[in-house]
Order: sequence, then C-alpha cells, then structure tokens
Amino acid sequence: MNAIVKLASLETKMFFRDRLSMFWTFLFPVVMIWLFGSMFVGDNMSQKAFAEYFVPSWIGVNIVTTSFFTLGTVLTNYRETGVLRRYQSTPLQPWKILAAHTFQGTVIFAISALLLMVFGMLLYDLALPAFIGSTLLSLLISILAFFPFALFLTSLAKNAQSAAAISSLFLNLMLFLSGATFPLEMMPTVLQYAAKILPLYYVIQLLRGTWTEAPITEYGFEAAVLIGIGIVSVVLAVRFFRWSGK
Amino acid sequence: MESVISVKNLSKNFGATRAIKNLSFTVYKGEIFGIIGPNGAGKTTTLEILEGISVPSGGEVEVLGLVPSKKLRELNKKTGVQFQATSIQKKMKVKEALDLFSSFYEGPTQKDYLIDLLGLREKMNVKFDDLSGGWKQRVTLALATLHEPEILFLDEPSMGLDPSARREMWSLIRLLRERGSTIVVTTHYMEEAEQLCDRVAMIYSGQLKALDAPRELLNEGAADCLAFTSSGLSREYLNSLPGVERVENNLDDFKVYCDDQQTTAYHIFTHCQEKGIRLTGFKFEKGSLDDLFVQYLEKEKIG
Repeated sequence: MNAIVKLASLETKMFFRDRLSMFWTFLFPVVMIWLFGSMFVGDNMSQKAFAEYFVPSWIGVNIVTTSFFTLGTVLTNYRETGVLRRYQSTPLQPWKILAAHTFQGTVIFAISALLLMVFGMLLYDLALPAFIGSTLLSLLISILAFFPFALFLTSLAKNAQSAAAISSLFLNLMLFLSGATFPLEMMPTVLQYAAKILPLYYVIQLLRGTWTEAPITEYGFEAAVLIGIGIVSVVLAVRFFRWSGK
Repeated sequence: MESVISVKNLSKNFGATRAIKNLSFTVYKGEIFGIIGPNGAGKTTTLEILEGISVPSGGEVEVLGLVPSKKLRELNKKTGVQFQATSIQKKMKVKEALDLFSSFYEGPTQKDYLIDLLGLREKMNVKFDDLSGGWKQRVTLALATLHEPEILFLDEPSMGLDPSARREMWSLIRLLRERGSTIVVTTHYMEEAEQLCDRVAMIYSGQLKALDAPRELLNEGAADCLAFTSSGLSREYLNSLPGVERVENNLDDFKVYCDDQQTTAYHIFTHCQEKGIRLTGFKFEKGSLDDLFVQYLEKEKIG
C-alpha cells in the first residue's frame, strides 16, 4: 500500500514540476469556454443556459484529455525510456502502477474541473450542480471508465508518437461528435446515432443531466454503459500491461 | 561451493535469429562473475533471462532455486538489477527515487548506509536528469542494492564513466560483494573483467567460448606475446616457428603470440644472429583479455 501512496504522490508532484504542461492542462479548457461563450451567448442563449450546457461538457472533455494525454502518453514515455522496465525488476505489481497514475490523473482532473466551474460561476452565472452528490458520482464513474480505457489503448502504441496519434484521433472524434462542443441537434441524424457509440457522449449526458435536471438514478442506462466500459477496460489494461516496448 | 545460478543448454531466438545457443554455466555464491564479449554477443540477453524479464526459448535456468521467468516477483525480492539503458523519471530527485524504491520492498532497507557509501548526500535534491553519467550510475546502483539483494545483476556498470570513476565503481562493487552479494556483471571492457571478476564467461555470437578465472584464461589461451621491431623478418618465417599461434604486424612492428615465450624468443634471436638481422625494442608482453579476445575472434573467422 505504501508503494502506491509514494508513487501516486511523487507522480503528482512531478506533474507540477513541468510548468508548461501544467499551464496548458489547466488553462486550455478555460480559454475554450471563454471562446465558445463569445460565440454562443447572445439573443438565443442566455449566459446561464450556455454555462449549463458547456461547462459540464468541457469537464467531460477534460476527463478525455487527462486520461489520454496526461496518463496515456506519460506511461508510453515511461515504457519507451525504460522507467517501467526498471519497475519490472522490483516486487512492484502492475496494478499498483496503474492505480497510482489513476490517482495522479484524478487530482489533476479535479483541479481543472474546479477551475472550469469557478470560471463558469464568475463569468456566466453558473450555479453549483443541483444534484451535487450525483454529479460527483458521475465524475467518479466517468474517470473509472476513461482512465483505464486510455491506459489500455495507448499501451498498444509502439512509441510516444503513435500514442499521441491514437490520443489525438480519439480526442478529436469525441470532441466534435459527442455533443461536447457542438449541440448534437445541429447535426444530421446519422451523426446523432454515431455519437452514441462514443463513450464521451454518456459522460456528457450524465454531467449535464445531474447538473440541472435530475439525480443519477434517472440516468441508469448512461451510468451502466460507463460502468461496463470501466470494468472491461480495467481487465484489459491490467491483462495487457506491458513493461517495455519490445 | 554453493551454486546460486545454474544455466543448462540455454537458448534464445528472436524470430529466425539465434541470439543464444546452448549456453551452460554455474555461478557460485559470493563470486563476481563476468559475462564478457563484444557488442551484440548476447551478454544483455543472457542477463535478462537470468533476471527473469526475458523468457528463454530452450534450456533450463535456475536462480536461487527459482525459475526466473515464472517466479519473477519472488525473485525480485532477492535480486537487484542495474540496467544498461533504462532511466528513472527525469524529474525525480535522488532523495525521492531512493524513498520510492525503498517502499517497494518489505522490511527495512540499507538506504542510509548506501547514501553514505556512495556519497549521495550532497546530491539528494538534484533531479535525476541533471546528474552526470557517473552520478546516475551511482544512483541506479543504490536503487539496485537497497534491499541487500543476494544476487546483483549489473549490465555494463562502468559504461560511459571516466577511468577514475570506473575504478571507484569497481571498489564499490567489491565492497558490495564483501557485504554478501553474489555479483553477475556484463562488460565489454576486458580490463574491467580482469580487474574485477573472479571468473568470466566469454561469449561470442551467443556461444560460450571460454569460462574460467581471468588469470587461467590468459595462461591457457597463450595470449602472451613477444613484441619487437625488425625490417629483416617476414610473417611467413615467424609463423613457421614452433609454438607460434599468431603473428600481427604493422609494417616492421611485430607481435608474435606463442605458447612459450622463452623458446620462441630463442629461435628468433638465433635466426637473427646467424643472418645478421637487426632486432630492436624486444619485449616480453603479458597478454590481456583483449588479446585473448581478438585471438578467439580470429579463430572464429578461420574455422
């Protein structure tokens, strides 16, 4: 247990040592919200309506960016540079490494989510989630679905470059097709159906829903899909964990 | 003597490439065992199989009574590894690395002892990436020995070190042996093998070429030679002398490798005296493992 705590806290500490990546991780989503705000807020959409629509979405997008870019690429880099290989010759088990990085990702994500929410409250009259317990639970389910999912997918990559390519592909697909950035109602019917095979769609439904409409119990299907993805991904991530690129 | 590693008929294939062929050797408790050979000979592959991170294609391997690739976690509690080309996290400080790796092992570690022994105290707050090559090697050596391993695997421990840092590394390795570890070390520096190892296994293209104490190898291998300069002698003549193994020359500078230096020297002197040939700079040179190595490689080419 001690090893997980040590590893998790060290990895978190080291993230904050990299000022540039910290800056981008935390600032980028806020800038995006501000950009979208200047586009959408107007006669047809009030500030509050905009914030209730977009802030939960971008918190959802943040789960994707954290899981692929903070967790996935870092572990791929560790695989490439031999950091994991070094661990392989100690009694440390793979699941502890994954758990420690999941913890680190959760901390980083929580900070960026909080920043987004506060920004939304200050600039766009956003209120705290109406069903805050449900929202937190939704976030937890979403993290447990996405982190191992990304860790598994990026572990298939041969090197950091191809991991980044896999990550960008998934991010872009989900960014535009899951209703995070552009309302799904604007899209053709085919794409509206396509959205439903992307896991981010369910995250966003859950977050938007519990923020304003109803508790998580009303979103049983969405939650179940994510829990299912989570279970499958955890099994895959642990089963196919690779220590080195060879 | 108690054996701690036994390797029988080990082989390892990477696709169609046979990296290791029919390798057998035993390592005894408390010795410094060297695996030497040129780059690409199969040293690292052999070591990785002993460490358990690579699965052999054939043969039997036992380390401390365990099959390494099957009981890796069990084995990792008793062995320590210093890799050749791995790194720890670049932004991790020395202090943090030592703390982290200590937490991987049950029970107390010899962290504080190693900090003093390796002089790491002044570098505790330096990030790994900011350390020089020699300090990096010290840190990774410390990480490998935190739990007082019964066997310590070192892959090219003095690679990239300057001569004085290399000598320091050797005395550290000897000290660790005195504290009870058995040490398996790979190197392509023959000097290192001669100075450091109790016994060496010489590997070339995945096969065991020789296995003995460095001194014995040198005695058996006839790596001793006569060196001199002369313009009146030919390779053909020198090769025809009894007991001559091999002749090397660079214009008039000759090196004659032979079984018995005295007899060969006698023949050369007599010949030169009779024919009035001038000999200068005549020396009896003691062979090094380097010479022995070249000798094996030449045999390989001919055979």
